[in-house]
Amino acid sequence: MLVTALYIATALAYGLASGLYLAALMRGTPRAARAARWVLLTAIGLQCAFVGCDVAYGAPMSRLHQTLTGLSLGVAVAFLLAQLRRKSIDVLGAFVVPVALFFFLGSGIGRSVEHASSGSVLVPIHIGVNVLGLVAFALAFGSSLAYVMQERMLRKKELGGLFERLPALDVLDRFGLRAVMFGFPLLTVGILSGAFWAFRLEQANFGFTGAHVFAFVAWTLFASVLGLRLAAGWRGRRAAYGTIVGFLCTSVVLVGYVLRTGLDS
Amino acid sequence: MSHLIALGLSHHTAPLDAREGVVDGLLGERTDLPALLAKLREGAFAEAAAMTTCNRIELYGVSDDPGTALKHARRLLSEAYPALDPATTYGHRDRDAVRHVFRVAASLDSMVVGEPQILGQVKAAFEGAQRAGSVGMLLGRCFTRAFAVAKRVRSETGIAEGTVSVSSIATSLARKIFGELDGRKVLLLGAGEMGEAAAKALSGSGAHVVVVNRSPAKAERLAEACGGRAAAYEQLASELVRADVVITSTSSPTYVLTHELMRDVAKARRGRPLFLIDIAVPRDVDPRVGGLESVFLYDVDDLQRVAEENLKQRAKAAEAAERIVEIEVEEFEAWRRSLALTPTIIALREHFQQVAEAELQRSLGKLELSDAERKALERMTKSTVNKLLHAPLAALKKGARGPHGAALIDATRTLFDLEDADEAEEGELATELSRAAKKTTS
Repeated sequence: MLVTALYIATALAYGLASGLYLAALMRGTPRAARAARWVLLTAIGLQCAFVGCDVAYGAPMSRLHQTLTGLSLGVAVAFLLAQLRRKSIDVLGAFVVPVALFFFLGSGIGRSVEHASSGSVLVPIHIGVNVLGLVAFALAFGSSLAYVMQERMLRKKELGGLFERLPALDVLDRFGLRAVMFGFPLLTVGILSGAFWAFRLEQANFGFTGAHVFAFVAWTLFASVLGLRLAAGWRGRRAAYGTIVGFLCTSVVLVGYVLRTGLDS
Repeated sequence: MSHLIALGLSHHTAPLDAREGVVDGLLGERTDLPALLAKLREGAFAEAAAMTTCNRIELYGVSDDPGTALKHARRLLSEAYPALDPATTYGHRDRDAVRHVFRVAASLDSMVVGEPQILGQVKAAFEGAQRAGSVGMLLGRCFTRAFAVAKRVRSETGIAEGTVSVSSIATSLARKIFGELDGRKVLLLGAGEMGEAAAKALSGSGAHVVVVNRSPAKAERLAEACGGRAAAYEQLASELVRADVVITSTSSPTYVLTHELMRDVAKARRGRPLFLIDIAVPRDVDPRVGGLESVFLYDVDDLQRVAEENLKQRAKAAEAAERIVEIEVEEFEAWRRSLALTPTIIALREHFQQVAEAELQRSLGKLELSDAERKALERMTKSTVNKLLHAPLAALKKGARGPHGAALIDATRTLFDLEDADEAEEGELATELSRAAKKTTS
């Protein structure tokens, strides 16, 4: 009972924080931005209580919904920390917090489902690096989305309040790059360990599934965004689009996995 | 009576294409101001001045026949640019013309209200007309008053505070692209005044300025003024690849930054954002360049739109400024009306004196008086004339500064059958001219 109540309260808090961040971005009311920060902090607190209760009631950490909860908590905390360091990216909450909400809601589907496990030490590594990688990509996604919007407004010369409130292109570009640079090695390890794990599990009927394709596409996209940037100096709108699509692909892999294992049981 | 005239077209009324066309047609090689002024004076203009800036083309003049003069000037404009839509031009006379000149000089009619460059441009136009010998008393006084009004508006209202000039718009946009401007590269191309101001503003925010100009001497001078370095014109392409912000304000009649050139530059930049500010009219940058990847091209009209946004916030300062302008226009008009007054007063006094003198002489011929009596009689006549004239002259002086001054003066002339006092007026003109000349040199 208490777990369910905490789940609903956390989801509502994330929803409210998303709405407030969106209002702060669209309307530019400083009060909404301040309130959004506090509500997000509350959501994080509620979620910690939820996780604590859940574990206390005997749900083992290896369960799928715990992974998703950890992911959404990671996104929220990472964003809050990043925002403390760089005040101007505050408004990115409008893009990032809904992602946290999305993952948190997803954790409701996979309740009491155990990860398919081969008992290998690879599993916690695979889950851990993928969660951290996705957290980084979620932040990169938020800043890339803002980059694309900001770039578009600059090009179309629509220099209204939204343009004023979004951070400078260069700030978004560098923030996105750092997030991708952080997430990419994790994604690489995640994909390799996942492939290895899947191979071990399904040795008999191992074949390329949609998830594999999306994972590969995402990896290729991030690799090219990073590679072109670091080796050739390419950046700007294309890098932002690459990051957005890359994040969506990794999310598709996760959603596919959640739906498959969640519905199979 | 002479009438003041102001006509032209500006960013408020005409699109960039039309402004470019008229400037090209009117001034040809951009140095033909005296020829243009001479052309104006061939029409019904007694005095003439002309000003072209990025945002406006204006002709000012004085004429006894304002209808014909306006028609003549309009014909010049449409001859310069046959595609000109007459509805995009404006023509003001007398009070409205004075108000227009004052508002332009006070930067109330500017693209960016309160920007300081326009006053220098008006002064340059005035001095150009003075050199060409086409400034007389009325235009001279109008311009010198306009400079004073601009000064007053600047010091008495907040119009120039937190300025939203082209330079500061450029700086704030650059900040929205690059974040901090420390160490950013600004390339200044051309020697336009606004371009220089924008480069200086960016340099003040920590950016490095590189100046490229066809004339190495000009490049050196500008580089020194902006605290940057000069680069050879041949290095333009490589400087464009390195730059973050490019400001163009050359007087080239064709595109300096062509689509082909900038396509190669954009390729070499690999998606690094480039902020291009084209302040030149005619434009220096092919508009298609704005479609290139990571190139943000803003021309004068784009900056105007930004300016309009900011303008809303400065509406209050502008309101106060408009009130100052209105007061000054009133004062100028009062002066203009009083111009006709001095010769009238002289003529009236002479007329009375002559009548009294004639009557006195006639009576003195019939009377036998001692010298003392004679002198007393003369004194009495004179003081009678003065006393009789005192009240009407005082009323005339007061009334002439009012709104019906001209009618009052005309009525006086008709009532007393006064001849035109041209000689007196010319004397007045000479003193006024020397005053105007002194004011502009000081």
